[in-house]
Amino acid sequence: MKIKLMIKVTTAYRFLFLFILTMILCGCTHDMSRREIDEINLIRVLGIDYDGNEYTLSALFNASGGSDPEGGAPEEEVTKGKGKTPYEAYENLKSKATKSISLGHTGYFLIGDGAAENGINLCLDFLSRDETIKMDALFFITKDTPASDFIEQGIENKQKIHEDLEAIRQKQEEMITRNDNTLVNLTNEMKQTYSSILIPYLIPEESSFLTPGYAVFDQYKLKDYLDEDTSTGINFIKNIIRNYPIYINDQVGLLISYSDTKLKTKLKDNNIEIIIQVDFESMIKEVNTEENIFNSEQLELLTQEQNKYLRNILDLAISYSKATGLDVFQIARMIEKQNIVQWQDFKSSFAESISDIKYKYVFHSKITKSFILGYDWNGNLLVKNERFVK
Amino acid sequence: MEKIINSANLKELFKNSGDIVKRPFNVGHAGITVHLFGVDGLMNTLMLDKTILYPLTSDENLKKLKTEREVMDYLLEGGAFHAFAIEEIDYEKTLRYILSGMAALVFDQEQKALIFDVRTFDKRSVSEPSDEGVMKGAKDSFIEVMRTNTVLIRRRVRSEYLVIEQLNAGKHSKTDIALVYLSNVAEMDTVNRIRDTINNMDIDNISTPAFIEEYLIDNRKSIFPQIMYTQRPDRVSANLTDGRVAVVVDGIPFVYILPCQLPMLMQSPEDYANHYFISSSLRIIRYIALILTLFLPAFYIAATTYQNQMLPVEIALSIQQAKQNVPFSSASEVLGLLIAFEILIEAGLRLPKTVGTAMSILGGLVVGQSAVEAKIVSPTVVVIVALAGIAGFILPNQDLSSGIRVTRFVMAVLAAVAGFFGLTAGLILLITHLCSLDNYGVAYMSPFVDVETSNHKDTLFRFPIKYFTKRSKKIAPENRIKQK
Repeated sequence: MKIKLMIKVTTAYRFLFLFILTMILCGCTHDMSRREIDEINLIRVLGIDYDGNEYTLSALFNASGGSDPEGGAPEEEVTKGKGKTPYEAYENLKSKATKSISLGHTGYFLIGDGAAENGINLCLDFLSRDETIKMDALFFITKDTPASDFIEQGIENKQKIHEDLEAIRQKQEEMITRNDNTLVNLTNEMKQTYSSILIPYLIPEESSFLTPGYAVFDQYKLKDYLDEDTSTGINFIKNIIRNYPIYINDQVGLLISYSDTKLKTKLKDNNIEIIIQVDFESMIKEVNTEENIFNSEQLELLTQEQNKYLRNILDLAISYSKATGLDVFQIARMIEKQNIVQWQDFKSSFAESISDIKYKYVFHSKITKSFILGYDWNGNLLVKNERFVK
Repeated sequence: MEKIINSANLKELFKNSGDIVKRPFNVGHAGITVHLFGVDGLMNTLMLDKTILYPLTSDENLKKLKTEREVMDYLLEGGAFHAFAIEEIDYEKTLRYILSGMAALVFDQEQKALIFDVRTFDKRSVSEPSDEGVMKGAKDSFIEVMRTNTVLIRRRVRSEYLVIEQLNAGKHSKTDIALVYLSNVAEMDTVNRIRDTINNMDIDNISTPAFIEEYLIDNRKSIFPQIMYTQRPDRVSANLTDGRVAVVVDGIPFVYILPCQLPMLMQSPEDYANHYFISSSLRIIRYIALILTLFLPAFYIAATTYQNQMLPVEIALSIQQAKQNVPFSSASEVLGLLIAFEILIEAGLRLPKTVGTAMSILGGLVVGQSAVEAKIVSPTVVVIVALAGIAGFILPNQDLSSGIRVTRFVMAVLAAVAGFFGLTAGLILLITHLCSLDNYGVAYMSPFVDVETSNHKDTLFRFPIKYFTKRSKKIAPENRIKQK
């Protein structure tokens, strides 16, 4: 009798559990905004501009809602929204769009220099609160141009803007080991009190875009645009270089195929000394000289030249940091990690000390693999697949 | 009527049965009359005549005997030329022997019967297994006759410890059931439990597999199979040596194996015929297929209705394009097509093979393509449902496949109601349910949930045979060493 009663109670609990589960699930449906995928316009690229105390958001999406199965190119459309804040502009954009819009598939955010000068934090704040947003979406600054003009110009030029931006991402990944201009990385960097935010900037180039270097931010506001060499110097110090070409005296082309940078910091008597040790390897990619460079003396010379080349690049980056007093290398974290005790007393004066930081270089480089086929300039037969190690 | 073995009682019992042979024979000169009882058609009459009736009527020695007891003893001691002859005093057993096709010589005064096994009946020959065929391996399979099936097992396991217990169930069908196990390996508690279950079955007839399966499993409410069946004698012999118990039922052309765990249902006989690396790869594919068939439709619904940002952008755009102008929601499309898929399967099972092929073409290609062209369903949904359906057919066990098919609907509904949240809730409930199942003291999810590492060598991966050194502690606790 008791067992039967227990079975009945257990069954009742099971039904109750299933009922509650169903209710919870139904309740969740409301909050989770059920929308069929074909009822949404997926924003591919979002431009953010600021001009005359007003934000403008330009959303680029595929007009037909996807690629044409017949093989025809899908059209790209731009819808704009305006408002006093980025979020207000986004709500305005939503009201103007023909369908619901979603930031869930937005892979690229273009920030106009007006918006960047007004504060990148204002743009990132509302974006980082969207639960659907891709954390690996990339941010670019459009140099000297509003992002909306940049997008519209691209459409006029019959560019596939998101494809061109994708190509830039791929090119970045060929040169560096990671993209630091993702949403998650930028929001993380914003939390670092002393670090300066770096975002690559775009310039139009015929029917595509180029990213010559970084836009530098001081306290979330755009300060400068760095040239290519200075930006590369920063990449070397940040240890994110994957490949980098070096041209020595217009005669020998080298490709750095391996690079590892270690920073050692010393904090003594309120003086900071940083030793930058760069270990790198390069391959000979091109020889435009009649001299035979494949002997130990010439290789030694080339090695010294490539060290010198790298020193010049690093000097550019360090000089900029010293001149502006900006922690563009994000070394504050490293100093803190390596000098935990001293940092507590020193951190309040760090910002003022950036210009006084002493840098030392240590280079360990070698020229490794090179494939030499056929004859040299003097007609001597060269050994195939020779390996040179300094 | 008193239950005493005599011809009058039996004649009265079978008076309306036209197929029961009831024939008296006079033996010798002492006026002894013996009655033959048997079922016409189930007895081999030639064998009956030659080995029993001929000696009974013409043996000179028999004619000299004066009592029924002497006649019985003479027949048992070689007077009848038949190997299987027993003396029976139990009325019920005698009836069962007669009805199963044996010949009974009834001695009225002694109130006993001599039973001779002269059974014969039409049966299928041992042929290739229809559901578990292998390229490399044995090609024989079980048939509907229990004795043939036990012979197939005995041929493979010639151990003196192989026990084939004869049981009986079904009040009216009186179906023969054989309980097969290795007495030095199997856990006797399990054997006893299965024996008790069969003996205590209060059922009229065991006409179909479900009639016995539902008695043998522990949790009848679960849709997941808790008893493994196989058509292959080699598979049964392998499981017997692992310590499991086989149940052979007369009239059912496969053998049940207990205790059963989920990983067993994901194993195929081919796994042990190929190189272990290839077998492991195929097994991984099977598990991937299990996940696909279970979750793919639900994933599609959740991703296209709630969390579309889970999809890569190009796929999202492609789905968007495919769904243009389709009037139904993703959930309706998927559920509708899943139902259509089930209808096609059911129709395919009922129709003759020749018509079935035409129906598959009509249903799958013509209707499917037309539905896509008419924008009733999107091509992506057709691909998703077809992929889930095909993945379901990869599963080696049809019962598991059926269970998964039903669960697939539940998952799809949960995804339609609450997206990935519902899907996750469903997954948690499913895992909880599977982990709560217990099969004759062994966890259904064993060895996935086992701490014992030696059990894991034949689960997701099939290790080389030399590593199969130990039997499972739960299944064969007394005799764990398999090989050194």
